[in-house]
Amino acid sequence: MNLIVFGVYPYLAGTVFIVGSLLRYEREQDGWGAYSTQLLGSRRTMVWASNLWHAGILLVFLGHFAGMLTPFFEAVGVPPLAHQWIAFTAGTAAGTIAMIGGVMLLCRRFFNSRVRAASRFSDFFILLWLLATLGIGLATQAVTARDLVNGNVGSMTIFEAYLHSLATLRPHPALLAPVPMIYKVHMFFGMTVFLLFPFTRLVHIWTVPFNYLVRRYQIVRARRTA
Amino acid sequence: MSHLFDRLTFFARSSEPFADGHGVKIREDRQSEQAYRSRWRHDKVVRSTHGVNCTGSCSWNIHVKEGLVAFEVQATDYPRTRPGMPNHEPRGCQRGASYSWYLYSPHRIKHPLVRARLIALYRAERAAGKDPVEAWAAIQADPEKRRLYTAVRGLGGFVRAGWDEVTEIIAAANIHTIRTYGPDRVIGFSPIPAMSMISFAAGARYLSLIGGVSLSFYDWYCDLPPASPQTWGEQTDVPESADWWNASYIIAAGANLPMTRTPDAHFYSEARYNGTKIVAVSPDYAEYVKFADLWMPAKAGTDAALFLAMGHVVLKEFFVDREEPYFSDYARRFTDLPMLVMLRPLEGGRYAADRFLRASDLPGALGENEKAEWKTVAWDETRPGLVAPRGAVGHRWQEEAGRWNLKEEDAQGRKVRLALSAFGEADERVAVAFPYFAEEGARTIERLVPVRRVRLAGSGEALVATVFDLLLAHYGVERGIAGEDAATLYDDPTRPYTPAWQETITGVKKADVIRTAREFAQNAAKTRGRSLVIVGAGTNHWYHADMNYRAIINLVHLCGCVGQSGGGWAHYVGQEKLRPQAGWQPLAFALDWLRPPRQMAGTSFFYLHTDQWRYETLNADALLSPTARAAYRGSSLCDYEVAAERMGWLPSAPHFDRNPLTLYEEARAAGAEDPDRLAPYIAERLRAGSLRMAAEDIDAPENWPRNLFVWRANLIGTSAKGHEYFLKHLLGAQNAVLGRGDEGRSSREIKWRDEAPTAKLDLLVDINFRLNSTGACADIVLPTATWYEKDDLSTTDMHPFIHPLCRAVDPGWESRSDWQIFAAIAAAFSALAGKHLGKKKDIVATPLLHDTPAELGQPIAVKDWRRGECEPVPGRTMPQLFIVERDYARVCEQYAAIGPLLRERGNGVKGIAWETAHELDALKALNGETAAGLPSIAEDIAACEAILMLAPETNGEVAHRAWRALEKKTGLSLTHLAQARRAEKLRFRDLVRQPRKIITSPTWSGIESEEVSYSAGYTNIHEAIPFRTLTGRAQFYIDHEWMLDFGEGFPLYRPPLDLKELEGAPRAATAGPHLVLRWITPHSKWGIHSTYNDNLRMLNLFRGGPYVWLAEADAAAAGIRDNDWVEALNANGAAVARAVVSQRIPRGVAMMYHAQEKTVNVPGSPTTRQRGGILNSLTRVVVKPTHMIGGYAQLSWLMNYYGPIGSQRDTTVIVRKIAEEAIDWLERPLTDAREGARDAPETARFQPESDERGGFAAEQPHFGAAG
Repeated sequence: MNLIVFGVYPYLAGTVFIVGSLLRYEREQDGWGAYSTQLLGSRRTMVWASNLWHAGILLVFLGHFAGMLTPFFEAVGVPPLAHQWIAFTAGTAAGTIAMIGGVMLLCRRFFNSRVRAASRFSDFFILLWLLATLGIGLATQAVTARDLVNGNVGSMTIFEAYLHSLATLRPHPALLAPVPMIYKVHMFFGMTVFLLFPFTRLVHIWTVPFNYLVRRYQIVRARRTA
Repeated sequence: MSHLFDRLTFFARSSEPFADGHGVKIREDRQSEQAYRSRWRHDKVVRSTHGVNCTGSCSWNIHVKEGLVAFEVQATDYPRTRPGMPNHEPRGCQRGASYSWYLYSPHRIKHPLVRARLIALYRAERAAGKDPVEAWAAIQADPEKRRLYTAVRGLGGFVRAGWDEVTEIIAAANIHTIRTYGPDRVIGFSPIPAMSMISFAAGARYLSLIGGVSLSFYDWYCDLPPASPQTWGEQTDVPESADWWNASYIIAAGANLPMTRTPDAHFYSEARYNGTKIVAVSPDYAEYVKFADLWMPAKAGTDAALFLAMGHVVLKEFFVDREEPYFSDYARRFTDLPMLVMLRPLEGGRYAADRFLRASDLPGALGENEKAEWKTVAWDETRPGLVAPRGAVGHRWQEEAGRWNLKEEDAQGRKVRLALSAFGEADERVAVAFPYFAEEGARTIERLVPVRRVRLAGSGEALVATVFDLLLAHYGVERGIAGEDAATLYDDPTRPYTPAWQETITGVKKADVIRTAREFAQNAAKTRGRSLVIVGAGTNHWYHADMNYRAIINLVHLCGCVGQSGGGWAHYVGQEKLRPQAGWQPLAFALDWLRPPRQMAGTSFFYLHTDQWRYETLNADALLSPTARAAYRGSSLCDYEVAAERMGWLPSAPHFDRNPLTLYEEARAAGAEDPDRLAPYIAERLRAGSLRMAAEDIDAPENWPRNLFVWRANLIGTSAKGHEYFLKHLLGAQNAVLGRGDEGRSSREIKWRDEAPTAKLDLLVDINFRLNSTGACADIVLPTATWYEKDDLSTTDMHPFIHPLCRAVDPGWESRSDWQIFAAIAAAFSALAGKHLGKKKDIVATPLLHDTPAELGQPIAVKDWRRGECEPVPGRTMPQLFIVERDYARVCEQYAAIGPLLRERGNGVKGIAWETAHELDALKALNGETAAGLPSIAEDIAACEAILMLAPETNGEVAHRAWRALEKKTGLSLTHLAQARRAEKLRFRDLVRQPRKIITSPTWSGIESEEVSYSAGYTNIHEAIPFRTLTGRAQFYIDHEWMLDFGEGFPLYRPPLDLKELEGAPRAATAGPHLVLRWITPHSKWGIHSTYNDNLRMLNLFRGGPYVWLAEADAAAAGIRDNDWVEALNANGAAVARAVVSQRIPRGVAMMYHAQEKTVNVPGSPTTRQRGGILNSLTRVVVKPTHMIGGYAQLSWLMNYYGPIGSQRDTTVIVRKIAEEAIDWLERPLTDAREGARDAPETARFQPESDERGGFAAEQPHFGAAG
């Protein structure tokens, strides 16, 4: 069981994530986007909800990525306990911000009749799934808090080791054996987000138009690409 | 190749900056553009147009891709106009450009639909072993079963069914109705054949074969201007839009050309480049106003006052002060101004203008042996004395042909010159009393008129005056008789019809009126009539529309403009001009098999059968002239209707209180089956009372209309004046009628039934491509081909071309063309009819029809056989009666072939006839023949070819023959008018190649030529063909007894009606801030009637749902801001819409654009608790007795020609804001409680305290904010 969920499933989800995104990009150019309902109303709610959500979730993502997958903190010489303190406080703050925005978005999606009418099943589903993942993630912070008070950085070390094993294609799911269940549930939900990713509006993340920040004012395109 | 790899160009990327680095040229993948490029790719292009009563009839190119319509583009290949004139293109507008959206839209009806409850009932009966007709009869026999499906009309609940099953139900219903109640209880409504002739003909042909009733629509739509038949005996004939270019002075009144005549409006602006002066008359700052040099903002409904004042100025300055020779010569030859009118003595030595003097009144009848009572008399200046000049209606129908023309000759061919006036010749002057309807009540105005004394046949003498002398007196023009100070008369606000007087009514400055009248006339005098008045629904949709119009027509006639290119009267309301009419008529009404067809006046029909008469608040007596003899004083409006039906003036449907098939059987049993004995038999039974007109007990179940077909129409949505009454009484559906409905109790002629009937219809069949209000209320909905999926023909009055609708793609889903739908119904009908009906003889009653000898009914006085004033004589004092033999089993076969009657009796139009065997032979060769050896018209294109072959407009040889027939009647030389095109024959494929100009024919009064544009009345003025009126001339004066009773011998200003529809409003509606406003419903920019209003592309252009325009100041007074929800209500119902607050609108007016339906974005009304309503939820149709006159030359009924009009503009409403949170979208499932609540709640009812009836606005309602 442990092997399937934490040894096989991550690669399955990752493969679907990558291959699915590629296939969708190739086959469904016209459907590629965020399916924004911003024009459909609740303008004041939307300003808060959308910005809180996006800011929060981006920070959470950055925290997971930088804190656990990269040796960033080790590199700058932060001791593990301090690392965990930073992760705990920043994660809880960002997660709460995202949760507030996310719940607002959820209310809008369900209770604004126009938005609701314009929503597909996947829009409801992915939002609920993300919020569930986030909620469980916040719930893990209770365990983390206890560990912090006890000065125990065991779990965090395990996660880092596990993730490194995944990233280096030498999966070691047995590492997770001593970790409390709630972390595992959160991890399962999180991995599933990658699995769902290509089938939802989340694909807009791939094509965030960063070049708007640096592009020239006027762009003309050559008649032929060759 | 790959979206991703094509973007992975980090190493190859060569960006080329420019403009100092502000821009950059890149070489990215451009495949995404393909989506846009392929949007406009297509496989083929097919010509078609839109069949939508917009008068556009614009040629469009339909672009088809992979079997689907991709888009449409305006065609630009009309034949050129002549040098010096702009061409017709561009034609088309935003509405037509959005049509293709409908083909694949959610509104599209894709399959035959039937009410689920009905089909369940029907299948149960069939499963029980009943034959289709018996199954239908069983459902109808059980009130509970019937209620089950009628009560949910309009509430959804359709299921798909197959074509075979639904046509079987329809056929069974028709057969059951014919057998049980009579064929005159099967009704069909479809409007405007000109917009898709074959489609119209389909249903009308089927109905005519089975004996069903075709309803008129042009009058019901209030698009018919009664003033036109009253003045000229002509339905409507107007200049093409290109002729605006030829005008050098245009007054536009109530016709919003850029908005509602979008494809033609370019001529309006081009005329300005040509130097034409334009004056616009409009209460609001409408689009057409901005083209004008002068805006005259006359108050809504006061146009008559404005134009009477202009007539006053023209009479004074161009006839009295100085005689303009062009005007007086025109008046003498082409108008009734020189005709003599008898004066009737009143008390106090005064007189009233009475009827025209007739040859029959005079000793020896002036030598006129035939029809002398139908020949009017004038004074001849050549050989001083009385003369009966040629051209009167008596000359038209007398045996001796060739005297019916406008040559200045008497019957013997001696030259005459008619005297316009007796002024200066005869010394005697008498005081004549003219009716005047002031705001405070009706009174008379006495004016001195020069008269002659004439000795009458027998004994006695009479005082007579010319129409001209009476007209001057009526207009209050001073000519030195009364010794008044003529110089100051223009400035007298108390003297009716002066410029100063009109200012008190219209609000238009008198100086503007004087100058405009002067310029209009000066221009006409210098250009020989190139002054034009363009009018439209804004002036014509009033109860007293004919007064507005006749005031205008008087002005253009005084200036000699009618019949001159660039001049005259241009009424653009409805696409009425069916150019190949003579070819189409036999096809549409099955005249090739059976004559006559059953036809009915739409307004009369709906006024009676939707029980709007039961709610009549208008007191007919209040409309009478103070000088009226008024034999019918004390009658209700519906009593005039009943009297008109029984006197043969108006048609009737149903005819009698029993099945006409049964009536024939009764006649046969009494030995009166042959035509000569049948008429006296029925007349006698009517007099004895053993047979009654159905109208006398209109609510009796046996007199209800039972089956109704609606196709190419939105009868329940757009066209139902009194929408809520339709829902309640005709359909038995949920409705918002808020009035009492006991007013009809005072009727003398109609039997009062305490219980008002509901759900009169057994079956409503709607045939359409889009689901609108009519479909929503129907029992069966059939999917029809769209305008890009069928072959058909289209013409309009706006341009002289005929062009096709073409089948660019096959009809979508299960849809079929209308022609094939009715063929399928006919097949189902025939299959069942052999057993249930077989051959039957049917008695058809028609009124005394215009353009037939029957229009000479009662010449002198009205005699009513019911009152014992005369004998009931069919064809003279009561309807004409005909026996028509129907072979019901062969209806299908007859439908698809041209019958033998056309060969035997020939074809014709407007009182002339020609033989047409040659064309039938040609059609046989062209279309193929049936087993019976008749020309086939089974296919849509074959039906088109039949029209083109038979019509003079599209077959030069037939045109030649038609002109020859008219030559014989008039004694004039006329064939030269079509000589140049005699060899031409237009075929359907010719039209597909390019729209073709029609050939000049006697059906129309204008000509097609290289020298002039099409202009109405041209052949009357230039070829001396008489107008089809009593005098043969354009009539300023109308002398029928009922016209005089209602004071309308001459046009006058009558204030808008006060219909008392706001009295006793529910407290909840008036407790808060609210407005009392006049309810104006002009045509919109984003729709043509209800079509396009629900089209997503048009909804995107403005507010996306219904809206009402309000004046800024009014809105502020009631706390209404732009885009707020508002409710409008009166005793007829309620509507909910968004408010558009605009400076464009004058105070006192609420403007809701026509035919915004309640199918898109309409919430519930807080008052009625029903869905918001439409513009017609606030209206109720009110009929006018003078439109019911018949059997009197031009005042004779003909379908869509004359008859009561469905006016709806004299309506007032309460408008109030609804808070956003009080909006209820009524999106709840149907429960028993909801189903049971068919009427509006008791608390919403209007409870007037007095029983007082309305009249004309004795006191103008206090418009504006109240409460």
